[in-house]
Amino acid sequence: MKRFMQRIKTPPKQLAGWRKYAVISLPYLWNFLFFFVPFLIILKISFAESITAQPPFSSLFTYEDDKLNITLNIYNYLALFEDDTYLMSYLKSLKMAFLSTLFCLLIGYPVAWAIATSKPAIRNVMLMLVVLPSWTSFLIRVYAWIGILKKEGVINNFLMAIGAIDEPLQFLQTDFAVYIGIVYAYLPFMILPLYTAIVRVDYTIIEAGYDLGCKPVGCFLKLFVPQTFGGIIAGSMLVFIPAVGEYVIPELLGGKDSNLIGRVIWMEYFNNRDWPLASAIATIMLLVLMIPIIWFYKNQRKELAGGR
Amino acid sequence: MVTENSKVPDNTKSNGANVEKRRVSTDIKPPVKNTPKDRKPLLVIKDLTKAYDANLAVNNVNLTIYEGEIFALLGSSGCGKSTLLRMLAGFETPTSGAIYLDGQDMTNVPPYKRPVNMMFQSYALFPHMTVEQNIAFGLKQDKLRKAEINARVEKMLKLVHMEEYAHRKPHQLSGGQRQRVALARSLAKQPRVLLLDEPMGALDKKLREQMRLELVDIVESVGVTCVMVTHDQEEAMTMAERVAIMDRGEFIQIGGPREIYENPNCCFTAEFIGSVNLFESTLITSDHTGSIIRSKDLENEIRLDIDVDLADGMEVFVALRPEKIYIERTFPVDENGKELTANYAIGVVENIAYMGDISIYYVRLKSGKIVITTLPNVDRFNVGLPTWDDQVYLSWDPESCVTLTF
Amino acid sequence: MAESKIKEGVTAPDTNELNLTSASRKKSFNLPKLLRVVFLTIGLLFLYAPIVSLIIYSFNGSKMMTVWGGFSVKWYFELFADKQMMDAVLTSLIISFCAASMSVIIGTLAALVLVRISNFKGESLFALFITAPMVLPEVIVGLSMLLLFVTLSQLIGWPQRGMVTIWIAMVTVTAAYVTVVVRSRLKELDYSIEEASQDLGAGPVKTFFFITLPSILPAIVSGWLLAFTLAMDDLVITSFVAGPGSQTLPMVVFSSVRRGLNPEINALATIIVFIVSLCTFFYWLMRVRKEKRLRQDMKLAMQGK
Repeated sequence: MKRFMQRIKTPPKQLAGWRKYAVISLPYLWNFLFFFVPFLIILKISFAESITAQPPFSSLFTYEDDKLNITLNIYNYLALFEDDTYLMSYLKSLKMAFLSTLFCLLIGYPVAWAIATSKPAIRNVMLMLVVLPSWTSFLIRVYAWIGILKKEGVINNFLMAIGAIDEPLQFLQTDFAVYIGIVYAYLPFMILPLYTAIVRVDYTIIEAGYDLGCKPVGCFLKLFVPQTFGGIIAGSMLVFIPAVGEYVIPELLGGKDSNLIGRVIWMEYFNNRDWPLASAIATIMLLVLMIPIIWFYKNQRKELAGGR
Repeated sequence: MVTENSKVPDNTKSNGANVEKRRVSTDIKPPVKNTPKDRKPLLVIKDLTKAYDANLAVNNVNLTIYEGEIFALLGSSGCGKSTLLRMLAGFETPTSGAIYLDGQDMTNVPPYKRPVNMMFQSYALFPHMTVEQNIAFGLKQDKLRKAEINARVEKMLKLVHMEEYAHRKPHQLSGGQRQRVALARSLAKQPRVLLLDEPMGALDKKLREQMRLELVDIVESVGVTCVMVTHDQEEAMTMAERVAIMDRGEFIQIGGPREIYENPNCCFTAEFIGSVNLFESTLITSDHTGSIIRSKDLENEIRLDIDVDLADGMEVFVALRPEKIYIERTFPVDENGKELTANYAIGVVENIAYMGDISIYYVRLKSGKIVITTLPNVDRFNVGLPTWDDQVYLSWDPESCVTLTF
Repeated sequence: MAESKIKEGVTAPDTNELNLTSASRKKSFNLPKLLRVVFLTIGLLFLYAPIVSLIIYSFNGSKMMTVWGGFSVKWYFELFADKQMMDAVLTSLIISFCAASMSVIIGTLAALVLVRISNFKGESLFALFITAPMVLPEVIVGLSMLLLFVTLSQLIGWPQRGMVTIWIAMVTVTAAYVTVVVRSRLKELDYSIEEASQDLGAGPVKTFFFITLPSILPAIVSGWLLAFTLAMDDLVITSFVAGPGSQTLPMVVFSSVRRGLNPEINALATIIVFIVSLCTFFYWLMRVRKEKRLRQDMKLAMQGK
């Protein structure tokens, strides 16, 4: 019957003919216009010249003497590579996103494991508790860390009180604070896919491992963790990709010099009003992120196919 | 309940000539050729084909189903029976061919305009509606008056003995009750044809046997024509008047339950329905005095009293049902006390499977062929019956043999 | 992504337990259990400590967040007296409500397309399209949308940056989440009930409204709620596409927070946490009740022979 069911799983007749196109068109057009076209425009503007006008960029297309002139200005891209502050920003963003993802994984995996192996009643409460913070305001959760990390903040007060330090430590406006902020804000997005993967683990495989003489630690590393790779990839991408472009966290917790790329785009746009340069930076960032994004999608598709 | 006697004699053969040619065995009585003349054809399927890409799920099928009949499509998974049913319901569009209902072409009529209703394997009860609302749903689509709908729903509930459950939701019902509701819902519109997709598929074994009888009772009391799909041969044989055996999108044999069991037209049917011993053989001679067949598995000839009407020297299969083989420890004799010279074999009991009501004996012949035979466990203490490693004689009546050509 | 993010409600078989030390079970000391408690405690402490500190300090009489100036609720009064803040709350509520409503329509249609229509041209592109706003960094999405709006208003004089542009941006982003939620529900849906409906004479449109829609309604509702919270919470994209006149709550909070600690924000945070917890609690209660009822119903079904 299995084989057969598969075949029957062609869509039911209900969506055929004009209805099909009616259903497709609204979401398709909406996303085409408001999501896809903007990327073409970003690409276009990244080749424009910054001018002081409204809007502050030159037009690529000029029409002179019955001729269409297209001026591609690659200065924006050249600027990115000439001035190594941009390059450093990219590299630093990638590094911080990578390390934050790693920390998230290291904290998230044990927690996800603990939730997934609890009794069902506890499990649901725990899941709820993990998700709950992300339903409150992201901004406010990041803000909370200012009060904790600042010179007169909770941690310094505590450390001074127990006599571990004499002088308050500088946490705020360091990379350390940014790491904490990112890990804190994105941890739920790591835990949930990991939880889903761990809950699905086939324990008979682990038992077979024990049966064949594998020690607990070996079983965990060789048999348990590989079964959760899908969740690891999904969780890591969910943290890594947005973390690369993170703006709020470095802005609030990081130092003035922590020029992560998201912040650079923001500043080029809002402070310097150099829209073409901001577009060029965004274009490059998008290209860099293409790899993890595609990886993520492939993994998702595999997970969905395998999960059924 | 459906016993064979309660039905019209059921040796109907609708796929006619070639079936007849292949079936060359004897019958105790010659098969009554009877397409029920008093019944008129209701559903006619003509050259129906459904292809999925290169796969032919249903391959050029022809079938006539008569008014008031219960017809079963029987086959293993992926044989095309469900696709055929779904084409009857209108959920699949045939690649070619046509479906006529009451002489009207239904082939491209959408499901919601066909006077045909289906009981789904999963029952497909609407989870957000009560039993009553479920049953009324189809009637509401016909824009019947409220009073009429209520009356009809009540009647249906009564029919399936679910009056007290009218206001429950599907998840508050047991499996058997859900089935009744599904049945009531599909009967409420008084369809010309009722389609049943694996009607017992979602029930456990005990309930299944009970519901089989009940379902047939209800369907017969309503008098609706019924086409069912099943992979369970027992279900098909007990519930249907005619059974079509399907394989790879084609009908292999169509006939009454007794016919397909006792007169299979090919090795596939013989092996598919029940168990069977097949002997690869050669036809030595055959004329009006009888036929002589020699099998490489048997030391002795198989002699039949009838003319199998095939060319001498032809390769044939002799099919013998296990329960039709006698197993003895003494040399078999005929009714006159004379020792047999044909239709017997000598072997050693290799294995016995005790099933409770019967025991299945696996007997190894000299040729190495294992023959299966059964004995009813009449005696509680198994006195005098052959046991492991006994030398035994197997014998059979000439009429028990069915000669098949492929 | 949010496939897993959203399915927080899934329950799993409870027999699963990686028993790292099956032998140690007999002893009173149980390593997995201990580890579990330790991990959960650390994890939850990390997640909740900052929030709890915000709540505590919101009742601090002193303006200095670090010095305890006695219990006081004055920051709440100041918060409610803050006209700019209250205006922003209203703006945010209006935008989020409208965005969530539109997003539910688009997201449900998109989910229908993804689950029910296979093999149409550009299917995989469509899937990428619909869900990409969830993964891409907000800075990029915000910038690209802004540039679209600027280009559009240059070309056709519409839209002016303001609530409408924020609404469009929020719909685009949140529709992706709705799609994921509704899609996973649609996938689970036994569509033989839709076939049954057609079999009983209801046409495709009727079937959708009377059978399919009621079945996926819970998913649509949670999709709406998710879209609403996301829209309420968004800062980066909103900042890009917002016009000078339209300040949403996160924008006001951000500009205030940027200037340093502000006890009013603590009060606001406490209120938000309170509302969210309350909603979650009621949702939780409803679910527990529903499960209980379900169990009773099943018992009923069993008894009804």
